[in-house]
Amino acid sequence: MEAIAEALGFDVNKFIWALINFLILVFLLKKFAYKPVLNMLDERKRSIEESLTRAEKARDEAERMQKEYEAQLAQAREEAQRIIEQATKLGEQMKEEILANAQAEASKAIQRAQEEIAREREKAVVALREEVANLAVLAAGKVLGRAISVEDHEKMIKEFIAEVGDLQ
Amino acid sequence: MEGHGPKEPFATVFGIDIPNFVITMWAIMFILVFVSWLGTRKMKKVPSGVQNVVEFAVEGIYNFLTGMMGESRARAYLPLLGSFFFFILLSNYSGLIPGMGMIPGMKVPTSDLSITAALGITTFFVTHISGIQRKGIKYFAHFLTPVAWMLPINIIDELVRPVSLSFRLYGNIFGEETVINKIAEMAPLIAPLPMMALALLTGAIQAFVFTLLSTVYITGATEDHH
Repeated sequence: MEAIAEALGFDVNKFIWALINFLILVFLLKKFAYKPVLNMLDERKRSIEESLTRAEKARDEAERMQKEYEAQLAQAREEAQRIIEQATKLGEQMKEEILANAQAEASKAIQRAQEEIAREREKAVVALREEVANLAVLAAGKVLGRAISVEDHEKMIKEFIAEVGDLQ
Repeated sequence: MEGHGPKEPFATVFGIDIPNFVITMWAIMFILVFVSWLGTRKMKKVPSGVQNVVEFAVEGIYNFLTGMMGESRARAYLPLLGSFFFFILLSNYSGLIPGMGMIPGMKVPTSDLSITAALGITTFFVTHISGIQRKGIKYFAHFLTPVAWMLPINIIDELVRPVSLSFRLYGNIFGEETVINKIAEMAPLIAPLPMMALALLTGAIQAFVFTLLSTVYITGATEDHH
């Protein structure tokens, strides 16, 4: 066995050197490479997880707010609709009222006008009647060849008016 | 072996021989540790520069181990198995430096059986110690599977593993080194290039195979269910 080992160049001194050196290398690399890198990996993983959680939270929040806004919007729309309906109804109502008022006013005016006309006509008829009587007396005077006295005049007018009145 | 390579030992300090490969190994260790230190001294969440390189290398091995043995064991064995890979890879590639194996203090560590044996033995002990730590005395039950009389074969199987690990690595790299050096001796200009290109490939493959097999052995010893 020893002869074989020697033939292959096996040397206990080298073996021990290699073993010690390698163990030192393991220790140093653990300190300067593996530990820091693994720590960094963990830290990075943690921060990614944190970011993901944060993002998820933000998304939930946004969704919640959107729903809220949508609800508010729907409510506002309903409100607006109601207000419009109310206004329309009110407008309709006012229109009817105004129309009714106007109609009433108009018919009143017409009536008044008619009454006025009737009154004027009455007045005109009376005036005309007087005028005609005067003319008639004047004409009669001419025919008689002399003026008629005031008393005759009055008497004749009355007679005439009574006659004309009968004619009416 | 005589007549090849630089004169051994490289130096003797206080009666202790320092073999040539130790100088190369120290250089490799220095490069690995220095680059790691550069890449991790001021770590940022968004990596840049050397930090990218170090993270890429460590994460690559770590993800590979996670796929094989799960996260908790990958974390526990990353220092050992990662160091296997990086050290063996750089050691294998150090053979591509001109003058390697000729100038004193320059010898490819993995082309020496003593060094690969040290790595193989490390795997052997870590495997069985981890198994005992994890399962206690019940760990030895797997030597009796599938039937009790398989015990001797199972023991031989376990003992052969570090030997095969060591010899595979040593044989490949030593052979390659020898061929490159021989070709370089005969025609130092263009001739070694195809062989060196091949060495780039086998260097990485051998580093990967050693790490992969060590991972498989440790995973097997610490597996909860059989």
